[in-house]
Amino acid sequence: MDYGQACEEMRFRDWWYQAFLIERPSVSLSLFRLAVAVTVGCHMIPSFLQLEDNYLSTAFKEHNGSFFPLWALQLVAQSPDWLVRLFVALFLASWACFFLGFKSQASCLVMTASCYYFYALNALHIGTLSFDILLVTLSLIWVSGYPGDACSVESLIRAEPKPYARLRPFFIQRLLQLQIVWTFFYTALSKTTAGGNWLTDNPYYYLMRYPAEGVVRQFPFRALLAQHPGACYAIGIGVLVCEFALPFLLFIRRTRWIGLAYGLTFHVLLLTTLHVPTIFFFLFPPQLLLFVDPERIVEWIETRRARHASKGRAVLLYDGACGFCLGSVKRLMAVDYFGAVEPVDFHGVHDLAQLHPALTPARCQGRMQLIEPSGRLSEGFLAFRRMALMIPLLWPLVPACYLPGAGWIGQRVYDWIAARRHLFHSTRLCQTNQCRLPPTEASSSSKA
Amino acid sequence: MGSRNLWISLFVIVWVAVFHYETLRLNYLSPLAGRELPKLKFLYPPAGWIMFFNVDRSYGSAEVYGVREGKPTLIDPHAIFSTRCVGYDNIRRNVLISVLSGNAAPQFCRYVARKFPQYEAFAVAYVTYPDLVDRPGEKLYQLAYRCP
Repeated sequence: MDYGQACEEMRFRDWWYQAFLIERPSVSLSLFRLAVAVTVGCHMIPSFLQLEDNYLSTAFKEHNGSFFPLWALQLVAQSPDWLVRLFVALFLASWACFFLGFKSQASCLVMTASCYYFYALNALHIGTLSFDILLVTLSLIWVSGYPGDACSVESLIRAEPKPYARLRPFFIQRLLQLQIVWTFFYTALSKTTAGGNWLTDNPYYYLMRYPAEGVVRQFPFRALLAQHPGACYAIGIGVLVCEFALPFLLFIRRTRWIGLAYGLTFHVLLLTTLHVPTIFFFLFPPQLLLFVDPERIVEWIETRRARHASKGRAVLLYDGACGFCLGSVKRLMAVDYFGAVEPVDFHGVHDLAQLHPALTPARCQGRMQLIEPSGRLSEGFLAFRRMALMIPLLWPLVPACYLPGAGWIGQRVYDWIAARRHLFHSTRLCQTNQCRLPPTEASSSSKA
Repeated sequence: MGSRNLWISLFVIVWVAVFHYETLRLNYLSPLAGRELPKLKFLYPPAGWIMFFNVDRSYGSAEVYGVREGKPTLIDPHAIFSTRCVGYDNIRRNVLISVLSGNAAPQFCRYVARKFPQYEAFAVAYVTYPDLVDRPGEKLYQLAYRCP
Protein backbone atom coordinates (compact mmCIF):
# COMPACT_ATOMS: atom_id res chain seq x y z
CA MET A 1 0.00 0.00 0.00
CA ASP A 2 1.50 3.34 -0.98
CA TYR A 3 1.40 6.52 1.09
CA GLY A 4 -1.57 8.01 -0.80
CA GLN A 5 -3.67 4.91 -0.29
CA ALA A 6 -2.79 4.82 3.39
CA CYS A 7 -3.89 8.46 3.74
CA GLU A 8 -7.15 7.70 1.97
CA GLU A 9 -7.81 4.78 4.28
CA MET A 10 -7.00 6.89 7.31
CA ARG A 11 -9.37 9.57 6.10
CA PHE A 12 -12.14 7.03 5.55
CA ARG A 13 -11.60 5.46 8.98
CA ASP A 14 -11.74 8.91 10.56
CA TRP A 15 -14.91 9.79 8.66
CA TRP A 16 -16.55 6.50 9.68
CA TYR A 17 -15.53 7.03 13.28
CA GLN A 18 -16.95 10.59 13.32
CA ALA A 19 -20.15 9.48 11.59
CA PHE A 20 -21.07 6.44 13.67
CA LEU A 21 -18.64 5.38 16.35
CA ILE A 22 -17.76 8.58 18.17
CA GLU A 23 -19.25 8.97 21.64
CA ARG A 24 -21.57 11.95 21.97
CA PRO A 25 -24.22 12.92 24.55
CA SER A 26 -27.29 10.71 24.34
CA VAL A 27 -29.69 13.42 25.52
CA SER A 28 -31.28 13.81 22.05
CA LEU A 29 -32.14 10.11 21.97
CA SER A 30 -33.67 10.35 25.43
CA LEU A 31 -35.90 13.20 24.30
CA PHE A 32 -36.70 11.30 21.12
CA ARG A 33 -37.78 8.34 23.27
CA LEU A 34 -40.55 10.53 24.68
CA ALA A 35 -41.66 11.49 21.16
CA VAL A 36 -41.69 7.84 20.07
CA ALA A 37 -43.68 6.84 23.15
CA VAL A 38 -46.26 9.59 22.55
CA THR A 39 -46.53 8.57 18.88
CA VAL A 40 -46.99 4.88 19.62
CA GLY A 41 -49.51 5.66 22.35
CA CYS A 42 -51.54 8.04 20.20
CA HIS A 43 -51.53 5.61 17.29
CA MET A 44 -52.33 2.39 19.14
CA ILE A 45 -54.37 3.21 22.22
CA PRO A 46 -57.47 4.62 20.43
CA SER A 47 -57.80 1.30 18.59
CA PHE A 48 -58.05 -0.48 21.97
CA LEU A 49 -61.09 1.56 22.98
CA GLN A 50 -63.21 -0.54 20.58
CA LEU A 51 -61.77 -3.97 21.12
CA GLU A 52 -64.93 -5.69 19.89
CA ASP A 53 -64.80 -3.79 16.60
CA ASN A 54 -61.06 -4.00 16.08
CA TYR A 55 -59.42 -7.04 17.57
CA LEU A 56 -61.77 -9.58 19.16
CA SER A 57 -63.46 -12.40 17.27
CA THR A 58 -66.34 -10.04 16.41
CA ALA A 59 -64.08 -7.54 14.60
CA PHE A 60 -63.81 -6.78 10.91
CA LYS A 61 -60.18 -7.50 10.11
CA GLU A 62 -57.77 -6.74 7.30
CA HIS A 63 -54.47 -8.56 6.96
CA ASN A 64 -51.25 -7.20 5.52
CA GLY A 65 -50.00 -10.20 3.59
CA SER A 66 -47.09 -8.38 2.01
CA PHE A 67 -45.65 -7.35 5.36
CA PHE A 68 -46.23 -10.57 7.29
CA PRO A 69 -45.58 -14.13 6.16
CA LEU A 70 -48.72 -16.26 5.95
CA TRP A 71 -47.74 -18.46 8.89
CA ALA A 72 -47.51 -15.42 11.17
CA LEU A 73 -50.93 -14.15 10.11
CA GLN A 74 -52.46 -17.60 10.58
CA LEU A 75 -50.86 -18.00 13.99
CA VAL A 76 -52.06 -14.61 15.23
CA ALA A 77 -55.52 -15.13 13.72
CA GLN A 78 -56.04 -18.08 16.06
CA SER A 79 -55.82 -15.78 19.09
CA PRO A 80 -58.67 -16.29 21.53
CA ASP A 81 -60.17 -13.11 22.97
CA TRP A 82 -58.42 -13.53 26.32
CA LEU A 83 -55.05 -13.48 24.56
CA VAL A 84 -55.97 -10.25 22.79
CA ARG A 85 -56.86 -8.69 26.14
CA LEU A 86 -53.60 -9.98 27.60
CA PHE A 87 -51.66 -8.31 24.78
CA VAL A 88 -53.53 -5.07 25.39
CA ALA A 89 -52.40 -5.19 29.03
CA LEU A 90 -48.88 -6.10 27.93
CA PHE A 91 -48.81 -3.24 25.48
CA LEU A 92 -50.09 -0.70 28.00
CA ALA A 93 -47.64 -1.81 30.70
CA SER A 94 -44.64 -1.82 28.35
CA TRP A 95 -45.71 1.49 26.80
CA ALA A 96 -45.95 3.14 30.23
CA CYS A 97 -42.51 1.77 31.20
CA PHE A 98 -41.01 2.94 27.92
CA PHE A 99 -42.54 6.39 28.28
CA LEU A 100 -41.22 6.72 31.82
CA GLY A 101 -37.85 5.30 30.81
CA PHE A 102 -37.99 2.30 33.13
CA LYS A 103 -36.16 -0.72 31.69
CA SER A 104 -36.44 1.20 28.45
CA GLN A 105 -34.72 -1.35 26.22
CA ALA A 106 -36.77 -4.30 27.45
CA SER A 107 -39.99 -2.30 27.54
CA CYS A 108 -39.36 -1.06 24.00
CA LEU A 109 -38.88 -4.64 22.85
CA VAL A 110 -42.14 -5.82 24.45
CA MET A 111 -44.01 -2.75 23.20
CA THR A 112 -42.72 -3.30 19.66
CA ALA A 113 -43.65 -6.99 19.79
CA SER A 114 -47.16 -6.00 20.91
CA CYS A 115 -47.41 -3.52 18.03
CA TYR A 116 -46.49 -6.34 15.63
CA TYR A 117 -49.08 -8.60 17.22
CA PHE A 118 -51.90 -6.09 16.75
CA TYR A 119 -50.69 -5.20 13.27
CA ALA A 120 -50.82 -8.88 12.29
CA LEU A 121 -54.19 -9.31 14.01
CA ASN A 122 -55.84 -6.41 12.21
CA ALA A 123 -54.09 -3.87 10.00
CA LEU A 124 -57.29 -1.96 9.21
CA HIS A 125 -56.93 0.99 11.55
CA ILE A 126 -53.26 1.03 12.49
CA GLY A 127 -51.61 -0.18 9.29
CA THR A 128 -50.35 2.70 7.19
CA LEU A 129 -47.11 3.39 5.38
CA SER A 130 -46.09 5.70 8.20
CA PHE A 131 -46.75 2.90 10.71
CA ASP A 132 -44.21 0.82 8.79
CA ILE A 133 -41.75 3.69 9.24
CA LEU A 134 -42.59 3.76 12.94
CA LEU A 135 -41.79 0.05 13.22
CA VAL A 136 -38.41 0.61 11.55
CA THR A 137 -37.78 3.42 14.06
CA LEU A 138 -38.78 1.21 16.99
CA SER A 139 -36.46 -1.52 15.78
CA LEU A 140 -33.60 0.98 15.90
CA ILE A 141 -34.60 2.25 19.33
CA TRP A 142 -34.57 -1.13 21.04
CA VAL A 143 -31.18 -2.07 19.64
CA SER A 144 -29.55 0.10 22.29
CA GLY A 145 -30.56 1.16 25.78
CA TYR A 146 -29.35 4.72 25.19
CA PRO A 147 -32.79 6.33 24.93
CA GLY A 148 -33.23 5.61 28.64
CA ASP A 149 -30.14 7.55 29.67
CA ALA A 150 -31.89 10.81 30.59
CA CYS A 151 -35.40 12.05 31.40
CA SER A 152 -36.08 8.57 32.70
CA VAL A 153 -36.77 6.54 35.80
CA GLU A 154 -33.56 4.68 34.98
CA SER A 155 -31.51 7.82 35.40
CA LEU A 156 -33.33 8.49 38.66
CA ILE A 157 -32.42 5.03 39.93
CA ARG A 158 -28.80 5.42 38.83
CA ALA A 159 -28.74 8.85 40.47
CA GLU A 160 -25.80 9.92 38.35
CA PRO A 161 -25.14 13.63 38.17
CA LYS A 162 -25.78 15.20 34.76
CA PRO A 163 -27.32 12.17 33.02
CA TYR A 164 -28.03 14.35 29.99
CA ALA A 165 -24.30 14.58 29.29
CA ARG A 166 -23.74 10.81 29.23
CA LEU A 167 -21.61 9.86 26.26
CA ARG A 168 -22.69 7.03 23.95
CA PRO A 169 -21.78 5.82 20.45
CA PHE A 170 -23.60 8.06 17.99
CA PHE A 171 -24.67 5.39 15.49
CA ILE A 172 -28.33 5.08 16.57
CA GLN A 173 -28.93 8.81 16.28
CA ARG A 174 -27.09 8.89 12.95
CA LEU A 175 -29.17 6.01 11.57
CA LEU A 176 -32.36 7.76 12.67
CA GLN A 177 -31.15 10.91 10.88
CA LEU A 178 -30.42 8.89 7.76
CA GLN A 179 -33.78 7.15 7.96
CA ILE A 180 -35.79 10.37 7.92
CA VAL A 181 -33.86 12.05 5.11
CA TRP A 182 -33.81 8.95 2.97
CA THR A 183 -37.55 8.56 3.49
CA PHE A 184 -38.00 12.12 2.20
CA PHE A 185 -35.65 11.54 -0.70
CA TYR A 186 -37.16 8.25 -1.81
CA THR A 187 -40.70 9.61 -1.46
CA ALA A 188 -39.75 12.32 -3.96
CA LEU A 189 -38.05 9.73 -6.17
CA SER A 190 -41.23 7.60 -6.24
CA LYS A 191 -43.24 10.67 -7.16
CA THR A 192 -41.06 11.37 -10.16
CA THR A 193 -40.20 7.83 -11.33
CA ALA A 194 -41.55 4.31 -10.84
CA GLY A 195 -45.12 5.18 -11.74
CA GLY A 196 -45.21 8.49 -9.90
CA ASN A 197 -46.96 11.30 -11.78
CA TRP A 198 -45.85 14.49 -10.01
CA LEU A 199 -43.85 15.74 -13.02
CA THR A 200 -46.01 14.42 -15.84
CA ASP A 201 -49.41 15.25 -14.36
CA ASN A 202 -50.94 17.48 -11.69
CA PRO A 203 -51.67 15.29 -8.63
CA TYR A 204 -51.85 18.20 -6.17
CA TYR A 205 -54.60 19.73 -8.33
CA TYR A 206 -56.54 16.45 -8.26
CA LEU A 207 -56.17 16.31 -4.49
CA MET A 208 -57.64 19.79 -4.21
CA ARG A 209 -60.63 18.60 -6.26
CA TYR A 210 -61.22 15.47 -4.15
CA PRO A 211 -64.77 15.15 -2.78
CA ALA A 212 -65.43 16.65 0.65
CA GLU A 213 -65.30 13.18 2.25
CA GLY A 214 -61.77 12.59 0.90
CA VAL A 215 -58.36 12.84 2.53
CA VAL A 216 -57.88 16.59 1.99
CA ARG A 217 -58.93 18.89 4.82
CA GLN A 218 -61.09 21.96 4.26
CA PHE A 219 -58.33 24.55 4.66
CA PRO A 220 -58.80 28.25 3.73
CA PHE A 221 -57.30 28.33 0.21
CA ARG A 222 -58.46 24.92 -0.95
CA ALA A 223 -61.37 26.17 -3.06
CA LEU A 224 -59.11 28.77 -4.68
CA LEU A 225 -56.40 26.20 -5.45
CA ALA A 226 -59.02 23.87 -6.94
CA GLN A 227 -59.59 26.55 -9.60
CA HIS A 228 -55.87 27.13 -10.38
CA PRO A 229 -54.13 24.07 -11.85
CA GLY A 230 -50.98 26.09 -12.60
CA ALA A 231 -50.57 27.11 -8.97
CA CYS A 232 -51.18 23.51 -7.88
CA TYR A 233 -48.51 22.23 -10.27
CA ALA A 234 -46.06 24.79 -8.87
CA ILE A 235 -46.87 23.67 -5.32
CA GLY A 236 -46.33 20.06 -6.39
CA ILE A 237 -42.90 20.93 -7.77
CA GLY A 238 -42.19 22.84 -4.54
CA VAL A 239 -43.01 19.70 -2.55
CA LEU A 240 -40.62 17.67 -4.72
CA VAL A 241 -37.84 20.24 -4.37
CA CYS A 242 -38.32 20.25 -0.60
CA GLU A 243 -38.22 16.46 -0.36
CA PHE A 244 -35.18 16.14 -2.63
CA ALA A 245 -33.30 19.01 -1.00
CA LEU A 246 -33.88 18.14 2.65
CA PRO A 247 -31.15 15.47 2.93
CA PHE A 248 -28.55 17.92 1.63
CA LEU A 249 -29.81 20.87 3.63
CA LEU A 250 -29.81 18.85 6.82
CA PHE A 251 -26.44 17.17 6.42
CA ILE A 252 -24.55 20.30 5.40
CA ARG A 253 -23.79 22.06 8.67
CA ARG A 254 -24.16 25.58 7.26
CA THR A 255 -27.66 24.96 5.88
CA ARG A 256 -28.91 22.74 8.70
CA TRP A 257 -31.08 25.39 10.33
CA ILE A 258 -32.68 26.20 6.97
CA GLY A 259 -33.32 22.47 6.47
CA LEU A 260 -34.89 22.18 9.90
CA ALA A 261 -37.15 25.19 9.35
CA TYR A 262 -38.04 23.89 5.90
CA GLY A 263 -38.79 20.36 7.14
CA LEU A 264 -40.86 21.49 10.12
CA THR A 265 -42.88 23.94 7.98
CA PHE A 266 -43.44 21.16 5.46
CA HIS A 267 -44.91 18.97 8.19
CA VAL A 268 -47.11 21.72 9.55
CA LEU A 269 -48.52 22.29 6.05
CA LEU A 270 -48.99 18.57 5.57
CA LEU A 271 -50.92 18.26 8.83
CA THR A 272 -53.10 21.27 8.19
CA THR A 273 -54.05 20.23 4.66
CA LEU A 274 -54.29 16.43 4.77
CA HIS A 275 -55.61 13.73 7.08
CA VAL A 276 -52.20 12.18 7.65
CA PRO A 277 -51.66 9.82 10.60
CA THR A 278 -50.54 11.07 14.00
CA ILE A 279 -47.08 9.73 13.21
CA PHE A 280 -46.51 12.71 10.91
CA PHE A 281 -47.12 15.02 13.84
CA PHE A 282 -45.41 13.32 16.78
CA LEU A 283 -42.64 11.30 15.16
CA PHE A 284 -41.24 12.98 12.06
CA PRO A 285 -40.74 16.53 13.38
CA PRO A 286 -38.87 15.25 16.48
CA GLN A 287 -36.88 12.95 14.20
CA LEU A 288 -35.85 16.01 12.19
CA LEU A 289 -34.78 17.65 15.45
CA LEU A 290 -32.25 14.84 15.88
CA PHE A 291 -30.13 16.95 13.54
CA VAL A 292 -29.60 19.43 16.36
CA ASP A 293 -26.18 18.56 17.76
CA PRO A 294 -26.56 16.96 21.19
CA GLU A 295 -23.60 19.05 22.36
CA ARG A 296 -25.72 22.15 21.71
CA ILE A 297 -28.45 20.78 23.95
CA VAL A 298 -25.92 20.02 26.69
CA GLU A 299 -24.45 23.50 26.22
CA TRP A 300 -27.91 25.04 26.53
CA ILE A 301 -28.56 23.11 29.75
CA GLU A 302 -25.16 24.16 31.13
CA THR A 303 -25.92 27.79 30.28
CA ARG A 304 -29.16 27.53 32.22
CA ARG A 305 -27.26 26.00 35.15
CA ALA A 306 -24.73 28.82 35.09
CA ARG A 307 -27.55 31.37 34.99
CA HIS A 308 -29.19 29.77 38.02
CA ALA A 309 -25.85 29.73 39.84
CA SER A 310 -25.22 33.41 39.15
CA LYS A 311 -28.76 34.47 40.08
CA GLY A 312 -28.66 32.46 43.29
CA ARG A 313 -30.08 29.01 43.70
CA ALA A 314 -32.53 27.69 46.24
CA VAL A 315 -30.67 26.04 49.12
CA LEU A 316 -31.85 22.61 50.25
CA LEU A 317 -30.70 21.72 53.75
CA TYR A 318 -30.70 17.99 54.37
CA ASP A 319 -29.35 15.50 56.87
CA GLY A 320 -26.01 14.40 55.45
CA ALA A 321 -25.60 11.76 58.16
CA CYS A 322 -28.60 9.89 56.82
CA GLY A 323 -27.92 7.53 53.93
CA PHE A 324 -31.55 7.51 52.86
CA CYS A 325 -31.54 11.33 52.74
CA LEU A 326 -28.23 11.34 50.83
CA GLY A 327 -29.65 8.93 48.28
CA SER A 328 -32.83 10.98 47.90
CA VAL A 329 -30.86 14.21 47.44
CA LYS A 330 -28.62 12.50 44.87
CA ARG A 331 -31.71 11.45 42.94
CA LEU A 332 -33.16 14.90 43.19
CA MET A 333 -29.94 16.34 41.80
CA ALA A 334 -30.06 13.81 38.96
CA VAL A 335 -33.35 15.30 37.76
CA ASP A 336 -32.40 18.93 38.48
CA TYR A 337 -30.85 19.51 35.04
CA PHE A 338 -30.87 23.29 35.33
CA GLY A 339 -29.29 23.38 38.78
CA ALA A 340 -32.17 25.24 40.42
CA VAL A 341 -31.41 23.74 43.83
CA GLU A 342 -28.15 23.58 45.77
CA PRO A 343 -28.08 20.78 48.34
CA VAL A 344 -26.24 21.54 51.58
CA ASP A 345 -25.67 19.15 54.49
CA PHE A 346 -26.91 21.10 57.49
CA HIS A 347 -24.29 19.39 59.71
CA GLY A 348 -21.65 21.40 57.86
CA VAL A 349 -23.33 24.75 58.46
CA HIS A 350 -21.95 26.49 61.57
CA ASP A 351 -24.62 29.10 61.94
CA LEU A 352 -27.97 28.04 60.50
CA ALA A 353 -29.62 31.28 61.60
CA GLN A 354 -27.37 33.11 59.16
CA LEU A 355 -29.10 31.29 56.34
CA HIS A 356 -32.55 31.94 57.79
CA PRO A 357 -33.47 33.19 61.25
CA ALA A 358 -36.09 30.47 61.75
CA LEU A 359 -33.66 27.61 61.22
CA THR A 360 -32.43 25.42 64.08
CA PRO A 361 -30.53 22.10 64.02
CA ALA A 362 -33.58 20.31 65.44
CA ARG A 363 -35.77 21.65 62.70
CA CYS A 364 -33.29 20.60 60.02
CA GLN A 365 -33.01 17.19 61.63
CA GLY A 366 -36.77 16.68 61.42
CA ARG A 367 -37.47 17.83 57.89
CA MET A 368 -35.49 19.01 54.89
CA GLN A 369 -35.57 22.78 54.61
CA LEU A 370 -35.70 24.81 51.41
CA ILE A 371 -34.60 28.44 51.36
CA GLU A 372 -35.47 30.16 48.09
CA PRO A 373 -33.46 33.13 46.74
CA SER A 374 -36.38 35.36 47.81
CA GLY A 375 -35.88 34.19 51.40
CA ARG A 376 -39.02 32.04 51.47
CA LEU A 377 -38.58 29.04 53.76
CA SER A 378 -40.47 25.77 53.36
CA GLU A 379 -39.92 22.35 54.84
CA GLY A 380 -40.69 18.68 54.35
CA PHE A 381 -43.30 17.90 51.73
CA LEU A 382 -43.97 21.59 51.17
CA ALA A 383 -40.28 22.03 50.29
CA PHE A 384 -40.57 19.16 47.80
CA ARG A 385 -43.65 20.78 46.33
CA ARG A 386 -41.78 24.05 45.84
CA MET A 387 -38.89 22.19 44.22
CA ALA A 388 -41.32 20.42 41.88
CA LEU A 389 -42.18 23.86 40.54
CA MET A 390 -38.51 24.75 40.04
CA ILE A 391 -37.37 21.50 38.38
CA PRO A 392 -38.96 20.89 34.94
CA LEU A 393 -38.65 17.10 35.12
CA LEU A 394 -40.84 17.18 38.24
CA TRP A 395 -43.54 19.29 36.61
CA PRO A 396 -45.74 16.26 35.89
CA LEU A 397 -46.03 15.83 39.68
CA VAL A 398 -47.08 19.43 40.31
CA PRO A 399 -50.85 18.98 39.74
CA ALA A 400 -50.94 16.07 42.21
CA CYS A 401 -48.86 18.01 44.73
CA TYR A 402 -51.28 20.93 44.66
CA LEU A 403 -54.52 18.95 44.85
CA PRO A 404 -56.73 20.12 47.73
CA GLY A 405 -55.49 18.42 50.89
CA ALA A 406 -52.27 17.22 49.24
CA GLY A 407 -50.18 19.49 51.48
CA TRP A 408 -51.74 18.10 54.66
CA ILE A 409 -51.51 14.45 53.59
CA GLY A 410 -48.06 14.92 51.99
CA GLN A 411 -46.61 16.46 55.13
CA ARG A 412 -47.91 13.63 57.30
CA VAL A 413 -46.55 10.97 54.94
CA TYR A 414 -43.26 12.85 54.83
CA ASP A 415 -43.09 12.97 58.64
CA TRP A 416 -43.94 9.29 58.90
CA ILE A 417 -41.07 8.42 56.56
CA ALA A 418 -38.71 10.96 58.15
CA ALA A 419 -39.33 9.51 61.62
CA ARG A 420 -38.56 6.01 60.34
CA ARG A 421 -35.88 6.84 57.85
CA HIS A 422 -33.43 4.53 59.60
CA LEU A 423 -35.71 1.67 58.51
CA PHE A 424 -35.07 2.50 54.90
CA HIS A 425 -31.35 2.07 55.31
CA SER A 426 -31.02 -1.61 54.69
CA THR A 427 -29.91 -0.66 51.20
CA ARG A 428 -26.53 0.12 49.75
CA LEU A 429 -27.31 3.78 50.29
CA CYS A 430 -26.46 3.47 53.96
CA GLN A 431 -23.50 1.18 54.10
CA THR A 432 -21.91 3.17 56.94
CA ASN A 433 -24.96 2.67 59.13
CA GLN A 434 -24.69 6.27 60.29
CA CYS A 435 -28.31 6.72 59.58
CA ARG A 436 -29.90 5.62 62.80
CA LEU A 437 -30.65 8.76 64.73
CA PRO A 438 -29.96 9.01 68.44
CA PRO A 439 -33.26 8.46 70.32
CA THR A 440 -33.51 12.06 71.51
CA GLU A 441 -32.98 13.48 68.07
CA ALA A 442 -35.31 10.93 66.56
CA SER A 443 -38.10 11.92 68.89
CA SER A 444 -37.49 15.60 68.25
CA SER A 445 -37.54 14.95 64.51
CA SER A 446 -40.91 13.24 64.69
CA LYS A 447 -42.31 16.24 66.49
CA ALA A 448 -40.73 18.78 64.19
CA MET B 1 -13.73 -0.92 22.41
CA GLY B 2 -12.38 -2.48 19.21
CA SER B 3 -14.91 -5.29 19.19
CA ARG B 4 -17.73 -2.88 20.09
CA ASN B 5 -16.82 -0.68 17.14
CA LEU B 6 -16.68 -3.71 14.90
CA TRP B 7 -20.19 -4.79 15.92
CA ILE B 8 -21.55 -1.28 15.51
CA SER B 9 -19.94 -1.00 12.07
CA LEU B 10 -21.42 -4.32 10.98
CA PHE B 11 -24.84 -3.32 12.25
CA VAL B 12 -24.68 0.02 10.43
CA ILE B 13 -23.65 -1.62 7.15
CA VAL B 14 -26.37 -4.29 7.32
CA TRP B 15 -29.05 -1.77 8.35
CA VAL B 16 -28.17 0.65 5.55
CA ALA B 17 -28.00 -2.15 2.97
CA VAL B 18 -31.37 -3.60 3.98
CA PHE B 19 -32.97 -0.14 4.11
CA HIS B 20 -31.92 0.66 0.56
CA TYR B 21 -32.68 -2.82 -0.73
CA GLU B 22 -36.25 -2.71 0.59
CA THR B 23 -36.76 0.86 -0.56
CA LEU B 24 -35.63 0.16 -4.12
CA ARG B 25 -36.59 -3.52 -4.44
CA LEU B 26 -40.01 -3.41 -6.08
CA ASN B 27 -39.79 -0.43 -8.41
CA TYR B 28 -36.10 -0.33 -9.31
CA LEU B 29 -34.15 -3.48 -8.44
CA SER B 30 -36.75 -6.07 -9.52
CA PRO B 31 -37.15 -4.55 -13.03
CA LEU B 32 -33.36 -4.44 -13.25
CA ALA B 33 -33.06 -8.09 -12.25
CA GLY B 34 -35.93 -9.10 -14.52
CA ARG B 35 -37.75 -10.94 -11.72
CA GLU B 36 -39.39 -10.08 -8.44
CA LEU B 37 -36.70 -10.05 -5.79
CA PRO B 38 -37.59 -11.50 -2.37
CA LYS B 39 -39.01 -9.19 0.27
CA LEU B 40 -37.78 -9.12 3.83
CA LYS B 41 -40.86 -9.87 5.93
CA PHE B 42 -41.70 -8.10 9.19
CA LEU B 43 -40.01 -4.84 8.25
CA TYR B 44 -40.47 -2.18 5.57
CA PRO B 45 -43.49 -1.59 3.33
CA PRO B 46 -43.84 -3.72 0.18
CA ALA B 47 -43.26 -0.94 -2.35
CA GLY B 48 -40.91 1.45 -0.58
CA TRP B 49 -41.83 4.98 0.43
CA ILE B 50 -44.65 5.80 -1.99
CA MET B 51 -46.79 8.27 -0.04
CA PHE B 52 -49.23 9.94 -2.48
CA PHE B 53 -46.81 9.06 -5.29
CA ASN B 54 -49.52 8.71 -7.92
CA VAL B 55 -52.81 10.58 -7.66
CA ASP B 56 -55.10 10.55 -10.67
CA ARG B 57 -58.24 12.45 -11.54
CA SER B 58 -60.64 9.75 -10.32
CA TYR B 59 -61.66 8.85 -6.80
CA GLY B 60 -63.31 5.73 -5.40
CA SER B 61 -64.82 4.80 -2.08
CA ALA B 62 -67.44 2.56 -0.52
CA GLU B 63 -70.92 3.22 0.81
CA VAL B 64 -72.87 0.90 3.06
CA TYR B 65 -76.67 0.87 3.16
CA GLY B 66 -78.88 -0.66 5.79
CA VAL B 67 -82.18 -2.03 4.50
CA ARG B 68 -85.33 -1.97 6.63
CA GLU B 69 -88.77 -2.85 5.30
CA GLY B 70 -87.27 -2.83 1.82
CA LYS B 71 -86.03 0.75 2.16
CA PRO B 72 -82.26 1.40 1.96
CA THR B 73 -80.64 4.01 4.25
CA LEU B 74 -77.05 5.20 3.92
CA ILE B 75 -75.14 4.35 7.11
CA ASP B 76 -72.70 6.96 8.40
CA PRO B 77 -69.22 5.45 7.85
CA HIS B 78 -68.11 6.89 11.20
CA ALA B 79 -70.73 4.71 12.84
CA ILE B 80 -69.46 1.63 10.99
CA PHE B 81 -65.85 2.09 12.07
CA SER B 82 -66.17 4.19 15.17
CA THR B 83 -62.52 4.16 16.22
CA ARG B 84 -61.41 7.77 16.61
CA CYS B 85 -57.77 8.40 15.72
CA VAL B 86 -55.79 11.20 17.34
CA GLY B 87 -55.49 14.19 15.03
CA TYR B 88 -56.93 12.70 11.85
CA ASP B 89 -59.96 10.94 10.47
CA ASN B 90 -59.36 7.41 9.24
CA ILE B 91 -62.69 7.35 7.39
CA ARG B 92 -61.46 10.27 5.31
CA ARG B 93 -58.33 8.25 4.61
CA ASN B 94 -60.78 5.89 2.91
CA VAL B 95 -60.46 3.02 5.36
CA LEU B 96 -63.97 1.86 4.34
CA ILE B 97 -62.71 0.86 0.89
CA SER B 98 -61.29 -2.31 2.49
CA VAL B 99 -64.80 -3.74 2.76
CA LEU B 100 -65.22 -3.84 -1.03
CA SER B 101 -63.06 -6.87 -1.62
CA GLY B 102 -65.06 -10.02 -2.28
CA ASN B 103 -63.09 -11.92 0.38
CA ALA B 104 -64.15 -9.38 2.95
CA ALA B 105 -67.87 -9.83 2.31
CA PRO B 106 -68.76 -12.66 4.76
CA GLN B 107 -66.74 -11.07 7.53
CA PHE B 108 -68.12 -7.59 6.94
CA CYS B 109 -71.70 -8.89 6.76
CA ARG B 110 -71.30 -10.49 10.20
CA TYR B 111 -69.76 -7.26 11.46
CA VAL B 112 -72.54 -4.91 10.30
CA ALA B 113 -75.25 -7.36 11.38
CA ARG B 114 -73.83 -7.17 14.92
CA LYS B 115 -73.32 -3.40 14.85
CA PHE B 116 -76.68 -2.49 13.34
CA PRO B 117 -79.29 -5.03 14.44
CA GLN B 118 -82.05 -2.57 13.50
CA TYR B 119 -81.54 -3.40 9.81
CA GLU B 120 -82.77 -6.56 8.09
CA ALA B 121 -80.19 -6.53 5.30
CA PHE B 122 -77.26 -4.52 3.98
CA ALA B 123 -75.88 -3.46 0.62
CA VAL B 124 -72.31 -2.43 -0.07
CA ALA B 125 -71.72 -0.17 -3.07
CA TYR B 126 -68.59 0.88 -4.89
CA VAL B 127 -68.79 4.61 -5.53
CA THR B 128 -66.59 6.32 -8.10
CA TYR B 129 -66.01 9.86 -9.21
CA PRO B 130 -64.65 9.04 -12.71
CA ASP B 131 -63.25 12.51 -13.47
CA LEU B 132 -62.81 15.09 -10.73
CA VAL B 133 -61.73 17.77 -13.21
CA ASP B 134 -64.04 17.55 -16.22
CA ARG B 135 -67.08 15.92 -14.58
CA PRO B 136 -66.75 16.79 -10.89
CA GLY B 137 -70.43 16.23 -10.05
CA GLU B 138 -70.63 12.78 -11.63
CA LYS B 139 -70.84 9.95 -9.11
CA LEU B 140 -71.28 6.34 -10.25
CA TYR B 141 -72.62 3.52 -8.10
CA GLN B 142 -72.00 -0.17 -8.49
CA LEU B 143 -73.32 -2.79 -6.12
CA ALA B 144 -70.43 -4.75 -4.65
CA TYR B 145 -72.44 -7.29 -2.61
CA ARG B 146 -75.48 -7.73 -0.38
CA CYS B 147 -75.84 -9.11 3.13
CA PRO B 148 -77.26 -11.61 3.64
